[in-house]
Amino acid sequence: MDALIRIVRTYRLTDGLAERLRLAEEIFRHIEPDLRLFVFSAIRPPAADDVFQEVLKAVAVSLKKFAGDTTAQFWKWCYRIARNKLGDHYRSQRIERMQPMPPEEILELVEASQKAAPLSAADKHDLEYALNLLTSSKPECREYLWRHFVLGLDYAEIAEADDLTYDNARMRISRCLDEAKSLVA
Amino acid sequence: MPKEKPDAEAALQKLGQRLRAGMAEQHPAQNLEIVRGAVREQYEQEKAAKREKKTAPDAAKAPQRKPPEPDLER
Repeated sequence: MDALIRIVRTYRLTDGLAERLRLAEEIFRHIEPDLRLFVFSAIRPPAADDVFQEVLKAVAVSLKKFAGDTTAQFWKWCYRIARNKLGDHYRSQRIERMQPMPPEEILELVEASQKAAPLSAADKHDLEYALNLLTSSKPECREYLWRHFVLGLDYAEIAEADDLTYDNARMRISRCLDEAKSLVA
Repeated sequence: MPKEKPDAEAALQKLGQRLRAGMAEQHPAQNLEIVRGAVREQYEQEKAAKREKKTAPDAAKAPQRKPPEPDLER
């Protein structure tokens, strides 16, 4: 069993506060970077900071209620909470869709990632290609490529978020990828 | 010689890994205090709910006060 779901399941069965705090910290060390990327690639700071804190709080408060048994279910549950909080924000600000992360912010993050693992020439080539794929795509396709490949959301999660069937989501993403590849010749 | 075109899916996934790593470097778990606060809050609520549950059946068991008997002497 994956380490993350093991900790989540242990948390569910734990009564003592000290142990819960320790487990919650472990869980959030795992999920915080992904959730932060999810939120910050959908809205801009400073609003993103507030929404992100709301997401963390909502996940922490509901941890005991999570009823799934797999890591995939847990991620799906976390992203659903994050999506709801983003939805609340969009509604309150009358914004209709995600506000993509600007290229300079993407480059800053890539730069920061070098502290842990420097980029090889091949990595740089790959990342440049990935950025070209995204910037060449139409906004709708960019969003699909971003959510599926960059954020790592699976077809089912995207289908649920966009009210599509699984196959419809899969086909849209595949079509967007083909289109992007043809544009970056 | 022209460079070979990378695998598109792999390149996008690699970008995702780099962005997550960059996020972790730029913001090393700085929101844990919010998480701790939420866990404590939840714990207190559970404790309060348990306390209420414990006291509720006792209240049900407590003898109900009888209405005063009518004054028969009058």
